[in-house]
Amino acid sequence: MKGFLNAKGLIGIVLVSAVLLIAIFAPMIIPAEFATKMNMRARLDPPSLEYLFGTDQLGRNMFYRVMLGARTSLTIAVTAVAMSVAIGLPLGIISGYFGGLTDNVLMRLVDTLLSFPALLLALTISAVLGPNLQNTIIAIGIAFTPFLARIIRGEALRVTQMPYVEAARAAGTTDALIILRHILPNIMPPVIVQATISLAFAILAEAGLSFLGLGTQPPRASWGLMIQASRDYLDVAPWTALVPGAAVALTVLGLNMFGDVLRDVLDPRARAGG
Amino acid sequence: MIYLLNRSVSFAITLLLISVITFAVTNILPGDVAMMIMGTQSNPEALAGLRESLGLNDPLVTQYLRWIGGMLTGDWGTSLVFKEEIGPLLLQKMTASSLIVVMSMTIALTAAVPLGVWAAVHRDKWQDTASSTTALLGVSLPDFFWGIMLILLFARALGWLPSSGFVDPGEDFLRALKHAFLPSLALGLGLMAHLTRMTRATMTGILAQEFIRVARAKGLPERTVVWRYGLANAIGPVMTVAGLQVGYLFGSIIVMESLFNYTGMGWLTYQALLNRDIPLIQASVFVIAAVVMLANLIVDLAYVLVDPRIRLG
Repeated sequence: MKGFLNAKGLIGIVLVSAVLLIAIFAPMIIPAEFATKMNMRARLDPPSLEYLFGTDQLGRNMFYRVMLGARTSLTIAVTAVAMSVAIGLPLGIISGYFGGLTDNVLMRLVDTLLSFPALLLALTISAVLGPNLQNTIIAIGIAFTPFLARIIRGEALRVTQMPYVEAARAAGTTDALIILRHILPNIMPPVIVQATISLAFAILAEAGLSFLGLGTQPPRASWGLMIQASRDYLDVAPWTALVPGAAVALTVLGLNMFGDVLRDVLDPRARAGG
Repeated sequence: MIYLLNRSVSFAITLLLISVITFAVTNILPGDVAMMIMGTQSNPEALAGLRESLGLNDPLVTQYLRWIGGMLTGDWGTSLVFKEEIGPLLLQKMTASSLIVVMSMTIALTAAVPLGVWAAVHRDKWQDTASSTTALLGVSLPDFFWGIMLILLFARALGWLPSSGFVDPGEDFLRALKHAFLPSLALGLGLMAHLTRMTRATMTGILAQEFIRVARAKGLPERTVVWRYGLANAIGPVMTVAGLQVGYLFGSIIVMESLFNYTGMGWLTYQALLNRDIPLIQASVFVIAAVVMLANLIVDLAYVLVDPRIRLG
């Protein structure tokens, strides 16, 4: 645990837990109508004591909207990444452990999928399925799967070549048992690190999708949607872009820092430059 | 030679796979081209007739073969939204976007390589912390947020650069550069942050190696050691990572070109997706993936050409 006790680790943990707490508790504390209540007399009001982060073009309280947006962003990011790990794990393990033709075919497919820009893939899937919360998750989840599958395969291959796996094989242990007992536990640390870093990318992807109108749909509060709405009022009300932009940046920054430190702790081999 | 042949065959197979994936993804759509042409309120019989004549009732394999056959013979179909032939349309938009992609890559590399080397040389000192923190901040901000900030600063407050539109470089090169600059800078900033981190990591690894110590021990000036010995060995891996980022750029231009109203490939793809222009979606997605693939191939080949230590079959 010592590895977490540096500036980067502490900032990362503080940021991630803050966003996590907001995502969990904000919707319980803030009544939904607070964030959707329009006030035409208070349109584009600058930040003040009454409106901490100002108001948007419909006179809605930006503070409440940003707080509620945390739940949307995190729900989508966490579920999407969980989905790509759930698909990538069996694919990567089968590929890395069994090797041969299966590996060749699967990895050729994965490599091809990797030449589609992740954002393009996510946008296309979302547009094709029809943009809503569930399809945004599916779109990001599928778009991130090839990347995770590739990493998991590499790790599975590395563990498969370990002497203890050879020993287990020689002792006649079944493949299923070897995968469950030896491969899975030993590939988990790097997979957890990658999943954490993917969360940061997923938050950015959700913001991008919503910004283009192909992600979360109004009236649900979403940071990407808020930035999109701010575009027409930049001159008079820059806070409408700065507030949700800062929310995305702090969340992603926290996840990146946390991920970096997690890597140093869980996966020392991968430490850049030793 | 054999290596080249191998790579070409593998490239062809991947292109084929790309086309299959593109076709598959766009065919899980609930609607179809006939509905798109006639509208959802149209007469079911007329719709059925159009479907029949467009061959939409054929098995998917037949439809795929017809599509890929058309692509191979140069008949890319007509866009439903733009009512134009897709082939020339894509060529024109691709040219517009290459300007942005090349510019942002240039901006990112010119800044990232010196910054990354600087951080690696002063490892764990304030210079490293400053450069790494800036880079971390850079990768954490969505690039459209950079775009909005740049519009606010350079277009609105200072009025130096246009914030929207596209100018054909063939007509007025200088104005074309001006219009492409802000979107390129916005893309370049995010990319720069990523490449700085990569350069730092690669350089740190190289500077810890034996031959660097030898170079220092025989009294070479530090500048020669770092830039001639160190960077010469780091540039290959950094270029490879930069090549991989072409894919990231082609994803990000969709957002950036829409934000800046820059009518390139990203803008076109976005319009196609919004309007569910299936023939155009298929063609653009296919072309983007193929270009990304090609960029990676070129980087790989360049690496082999530049680095004499790699001698493949």
